[in-house]
Amino acid sequence: MKLVGIVGSNAEVSYNRTLLKFIQKQFSSLIDIEIIEIKDVPMFNQSDDQTNSPVIQNINRKILNADGVIIATPEHNHTIPAGLKSVLEWLSFKIHPLENKPVMIVGASYYDQGSSRAQLHLRQILDAPGVNAMVLPGNEFLLGKVKEAFDENENLKDQGTVGFLGSCLEKFIQFIKVVAVIEGPKKIELEPEDLYATGKIDTTIEGVDMYADDWLEQAAEKVGAVEGNTYVKLDRGLLTVDQLNYFLASMPMELTYADNNNQFLYYNQTKPAEEMLAARVPGQVGNPLAKCHPEKVHKNVGYVIQQLRSGAMDAFRVNVPTHGPDKYVVHNYQAMHDKEGNFAGINEFILDFKPIIDWYLKQTGQTLIGDVDAVSGASAKEKDHKEDVDAVSGASISEKEETKETVDAVSSASVKG
Amino acid sequence: MKKFIGLVGTNSNKSTNRMLLQFMQNHFSSKAEIEIVEIRDIPVFNKPEDKQIPEIVQVIADKIDTADGVIISTPEYDHAVPASLMNALSWFSYGIFPFVDKPVMITGASYGTLGSSRAQLHLRQILDAPELKARIMPSSEFLLSHSLQAFGEENQLNNQDQVQKLEGLFEDFLAFVTITNQLNHAHAQNKKEAENFSWETI
Repeated sequence: MKLVGIVGSNAEVSYNRTLLKFIQKQFSSLIDIEIIEIKDVPMFNQSDDQTNSPVIQNINRKILNADGVIIATPEHNHTIPAGLKSVLEWLSFKIHPLENKPVMIVGASYYDQGSSRAQLHLRQILDAPGVNAMVLPGNEFLLGKVKEAFDENENLKDQGTVGFLGSCLEKFIQFIKVVAVIEGPKKIELEPEDLYATGKIDTTIEGVDMYADDWLEQAAEKVGAVEGNTYVKLDRGLLTVDQLNYFLASMPMELTYADNNNQFLYYNQTKPAEEMLAARVPGQVGNPLAKCHPEKVHKNVGYVIQQLRSGAMDAFRVNVPTHGPDKYVVHNYQAMHDKEGNFAGINEFILDFKPIIDWYLKQTGQTLIGDVDAVSGASAKEKDHKEDVDAVSGASISEKEETKETVDAVSSASVKG
Repeated sequence: MKKFIGLVGTNSNKSTNRMLLQFMQNHFSSKAEIEIVEIRDIPVFNKPEDKQIPEIVQVIADKIDTADGVIISTPEYDHAVPASLMNALSWFSYGIFPFVDKPVMITGASYGTLGSSRAQLHLRQILDAPELKARIMPSSEFLLSHSLQAFGEENQLNNQDQVQKLEGLFEDFLAFVTITNQLNHAHAQNKKEAENFSWETI
């Protein structure tokens, strides 16, 4: 269960933040909470639309991809803080990520009211047509006299309170499932992927044929790329281009970089194509992703990129079993992001896990017990993966099946790619 | 003549609540002087440790302090008062307390049928908070619905029933200000309480 926890205060010190962190820590076996802050969100102004600013889009994306939202609100002047109200106004103006989203309200305050009036207001606000959230009824969690409520490790002292909080959260998890039934299967419309990379991003090198075998040489000349013993400053370190190459070439995996325009820009070339786990040839660098995969798998490639671009998945993994029993080769597609959290492309790393598992077993003196299933670790992997998919889509059975089919289709595709 | 502040309850460039206050400013010019004040440039409230109040907030607070009363006209965003107005009121209750015992009249306009009814109730509760502690005119409500169609070419309210209702309420407000001024025995004490009020020690 993947949730977002919104800290309803922009103050540096906030007991509502402490409360969310406690929930995150204490109930990690029940739920996975990402805590988000609102302090950088500008004041809502309908004459100055900033819906597309990174800070608002980030919150939007995270809420859209979560199964539910927990809002922790303080009380200011008998109501919720202006900063929280401002966020909710942005999220009900041009975009509506909270629509039909299960929401749970908690709150902490210095005095014994425990944010009671703010919580009632928040319910009314979340009920407004532009917001249209599905707020968990009852289960009011008011944490009064909050200055005395936590111990030095920021744990709630009172066990009765912890127990009640846990029962509220369990109800919320049930509520999320009920809402999923009310809403029916989710249909998230994702933009189709342009696998031919006909678009342009800031780093796209124009005027060089992407399909050319010597794209790298032409493009490097065009931008005056540095090489050899020229220094490059990195986060965090200083290496020459040569050192960077040694470093990447020594990685025990095949690395591939595709940018967010779906252009294949780099792989760590260490072996001839026929010896690689997934064949790459020097002339492929620069190609659009469409050129790197046979046309019949374009649909599946597009699906994976959509998931990573939208944030529905952070990583997509698939085992490719065609290398024989001595290897356990996994293709990992990992989303990359810039510092603002915007999608920056895909890091694909292809790794044989078998030597790692063998080494681990040898070091710890353990053996794998059981049949082929246990040896390959396949069933465990499969289960993990299914849970991921579940968390993302809040999926019904039929969706689960659909995703599994796609995984299979991609895996057979990647062998050829 | 009484002097009032007309506080526009939104930071939006286009606002029928601003138009309503402008109408009142003209229509009641023989009875009171209404200065319209904008909250647009008030920065986001961030609870500064040193209680340093931004200059623009102090300027408005001083105006409220010397005025005989405040008329707040609020739109309704998501069943509640706009964040920008809540933000302004957060500043007006943080180390400065211009609203304590200040007579306040609430009006509101909305594009739809309900005329900001829920925002007005919300605003009453906010103004009742211990650090604002305004004197809100009781049992009065002016809800201007379908506000985009409510005004004529010269910013006149088209509907005469509404004009009459507003005239009645405004007369009441003038009387309410006079009465409230007689209820000033506890003012010094109230002000002190608001100043000394601390959520830390309650």
